[in-house]
Amino acid sequence: MVKITVDPLTRIEGHLKIMADVNDKGYVTSAQSGGMLFRGFERMLQNKDPRDASLHVARICGVCPISHTQTATNALDHLYNVAESVPENALAVRNFIQAANMISSHATHIYVLFGPDFANPRYRDVLTGPELNLGATGEAVWKELLGRFAPISYKMDGKAIPPGSSYINAISAKKKLQQAIAIFGGKMPHPAVNIVGGVTCTPNVAEISKVGALYLKVLDFVKDFTLGVPLETWVQNTHYAKSPDAAVKFVTDHLANLISKTPDNQFTRENGWKDVELFAAFGSELVGEKILGLPASLRFDKLGGYSDPSKICFISYGAYYKRGQDGYSPESPTGERFWTSGVVSGNLKFEDFDSKKITESIQCAFYEDDVASRHPYDGTTVPLADTDKLDLNAGPADKYSWLKAPRYNGIPGEVGPLARQIVAQDPLVMGLAKAFSDAGTSPANVYTRVLARMQEVAVLAYELVNWVNDIDPSKPFMTTVDLRAAKDNQGIGLWEAPRGALGHWIVGDSKGKVKNYQAIVPSTWNFGPRDENGVPSPVEQALLNNAISGVDNIGGADYNNPVAIYHVGRSYDPCIACAIHTIDATGKNAPKKYELF
Amino acid sequence: MASEKLNMIEQFKNLDILKVDRRTFLKAVAALGATSFISLYGNQLAEALTFENETKVLWLHGAECTGCSISALNTSAPDFADALAQLNVSVVYHETLLAQQGIFVDGKLVGNSELNGEILLNELVAEGGYILVVEGSIGNGPNGTGKINMIGNHTFKDIFKKTAEKATAVIALGTCAAYGGITVTDSAVKEYCDFMGVNQTENKKGGMMKLLGINKPVINLPGCPAHPDWFFLTVAAVLLGKIDLNNLDGQLDDNGRLKVFYPDTHTLHDNCPRRGFYDRGVLDVQFAEGGCLWKVGCKAPYVHADCALRKWNDGVSVCMQAGGPCIACVEPIFPNGSMPFYVERESAGVLFGVNIGTIAAFAIGAAVVAAGVHAVRRVNKEK
Repeated sequence: MVKITVDPLTRIEGHLKIMADVNDKGYVTSAQSGGMLFRGFERMLQNKDPRDASLHVARICGVCPISHTQTATNALDHLYNVAESVPENALAVRNFIQAANMISSHATHIYVLFGPDFANPRYRDVLTGPELNLGATGEAVWKELLGRFAPISYKMDGKAIPPGSSYINAISAKKKLQQAIAIFGGKMPHPAVNIVGGVTCTPNVAEISKVGALYLKVLDFVKDFTLGVPLETWVQNTHYAKSPDAAVKFVTDHLANLISKTPDNQFTRENGWKDVELFAAFGSELVGEKILGLPASLRFDKLGGYSDPSKICFISYGAYYKRGQDGYSPESPTGERFWTSGVVSGNLKFEDFDSKKITESIQCAFYEDDVASRHPYDGTTVPLADTDKLDLNAGPADKYSWLKAPRYNGIPGEVGPLARQIVAQDPLVMGLAKAFSDAGTSPANVYTRVLARMQEVAVLAYELVNWVNDIDPSKPFMTTVDLRAAKDNQGIGLWEAPRGALGHWIVGDSKGKVKNYQAIVPSTWNFGPRDENGVPSPVEQALLNNAISGVDNIGGADYNNPVAIYHVGRSYDPCIACAIHTIDATGKNAPKKYELF
Repeated sequence: MASEKLNMIEQFKNLDILKVDRRTFLKAVAALGATSFISLYGNQLAEALTFENETKVLWLHGAECTGCSISALNTSAPDFADALAQLNVSVVYHETLLAQQGIFVDGKLVGNSELNGEILLNELVAEGGYILVVEGSIGNGPNGTGKINMIGNHTFKDIFKKTAEKATAVIALGTCAAYGGITVTDSAVKEYCDFMGVNQTENKKGGMMKLLGINKPVINLPGCPAHPDWFFLTVAAVLLGKIDLNNLDGQLDDNGRLKVFYPDTHTLHDNCPRRGFYDRGVLDVQFAEGGCLWKVGCKAPYVHADCALRKWNDGVSVCMQAGGPCIACVEPIFPNGSMPFYVERESAGVLFGVNIGTIAAFAIGAAVVAAGVHAVRRVNKEK
């Protein structure tokens, strides 16, 4: 057995370490995930003006600042009792900037963070090496992967490789989305626009038109690079398909048709092989090799799955406010949001989401407490005073991470695009999940995680225009807020970041300032350590039994290039700056001398 | 504002930018922004740099949110990759972008620098001669161990030390790297974490460089996030010798910022797109009303940055234009001195280490001279 450590796992947000025990055959037998930086955000807000949370906590993450500013604002809407009266206009602006941020974050992940792994020399060896003997087909696929996904400053065998075409153009598309957000938000990252009761901006027709123009340019990117069929055709036949089977059939028929029309292994964009098609066909053994009959694939569906459905669930808090009305429910009941809240078991059974079932365990995290697990509202967390105990190489029975371990009803939960679309029952994602389940494998894997992310880009790009059109410059963007409402009150903000379920909880004191603030963020769910029952977090489970070099270790396991860890870790789109936080209810800070009202 | 900018473009258009003196060069850079500047002079820059050696940029991430990297990727005309190509800059290390990762087998570094990021970093440090960009603050806690932030079994503090010692110069990108920023927000864990800026923490000079006894030229480019222009234009100016790294004194302000982007002679308020409302006394007391944001907490009158002229995301907007009060994110006192963000300054105690009563009277006094009818009324009332 060897111990393989990837630290830092790069091309993510923040500082993450993954350790894996690997047996003599090259398969993972145990894994640990550790967060490597502590910043202590929630303690920073104590005794402050609650409204500051909207802008302050946005700084938790520069990749998806909208999610944090938005979730904080939801918690504040609740705290000040105005959630039911936030004007429709403000909800439309919030929906738009969140959707634009989600597309831009997903595109950044797919192309800049995850994508470069397609250009890993492992796939040159698999596709063009002697083991599979794929000949011209392998050469052609490798050429596409390298030509599209190579990152900047990339070298192979001492030779500089130019950045990939998709990579470069995605950066430009991302930039346009950020620009559209800045038109409403002032700047991006870290816009200034979210405020309790509405939004601060009052966009005019010219600005809204400018956003429309940027939107069209982003659609050009989708058309030229991402998707080989018109966006509307794709979304209507997948997200709005009449059944999961119909959605999967639409995609496999489309791919089969492409294969039959492709001359001499020319898997080029010009021949309709856009990035989604290339990934959908060549990313999966089940879809590519077994259903479509391709000679090889990267077999991402055999990485990152769960072996015990009783130890995992899929959680979504619900994303995007319902259109056509003022106000929303802070509790996000089933069916209210555009993508509903809910919890789906490892066996794909749906239940309503209940925030009271969340606990966080510090058993294996660098904090001190009398008990191992608490509900977030009761949480008091103190970082270890004894610095010798901060051992980031400690084993799974000890404390080894700055992340805590959240659990839903005692069970680890995966969050993110895949969980969100399983909860929202997207027909394509559900159809694929069912297909994998029927084949005796995990419905969640690296392939379905990435494909769900691509699917969200398509659906949001399609819906985005509605949210822009909902904005009416002649109507109000704000409701009146009475600051006294925060006195001895509390608020909950439930929202979906690109990386998954995001919750902020706030408690006001007798003077209307912050008594307690806390956030449980997506990557804490996905990347936390073990809990007091020794149950591993989602990513720690997902690495078990993986072939360390991917593609069933064809050609032998290479410990020096453990691609399985890269793929599985990155497939969740980790954001570790978000994930590490602490809760404080000690109230040690002296309040600043100012009055709010 | 638009016409002012057009005039400047007109004025600078026919310059041979490589031959002008440093002062004119910096003036052009400051006035035009990266978009206009590089589109006007891109060819000249490219030619000038064709025969030069590649410049290496080694980019570290400490206690940060990656917002400054995302902001850098937002650079426009040219795009990020084109900007690097035109400046002949190679980002040799950047944990969010690079292909490599740290890989250990049974605790030992394995592979080569094409796969293993830590081996790459060691090779780069051995070669030296790079510009070190630091994004995020540097953790000194708990108890001076630096363990608050670990990467590949090293404290980030040690990684910073090792890389800074071999750097030609250091750019502290964003407010966290420059002054601690959001990571030094007052809290019960502030002392435990002990985050520090590169050579200044809040208003205290020295920072981690002084603690480690390292002496290198440092340019602070604060902002939450830093504007991509500030970064790329600084690099361009350094490469062209228009900023002399060995003689930065006259070019930096008291807080180590480049004066061309953070002018000490005027504030953000002077160029605010909503300035007209202030002058006419249209001072909003609610949000989303479209007027001046002074009474809802705007800090622009105390802030030295050119955002209001340059604007953000390819020049589309700036916080105040979107109705968001300026929160002074480029200043060393951010965020402790600018919170509460939405409360008018006079009632918020001390700002920027100066009694707000004095400074506000001064600011308002200046506005009286300009035209502020409303301000006259208020100053009189205060008396």
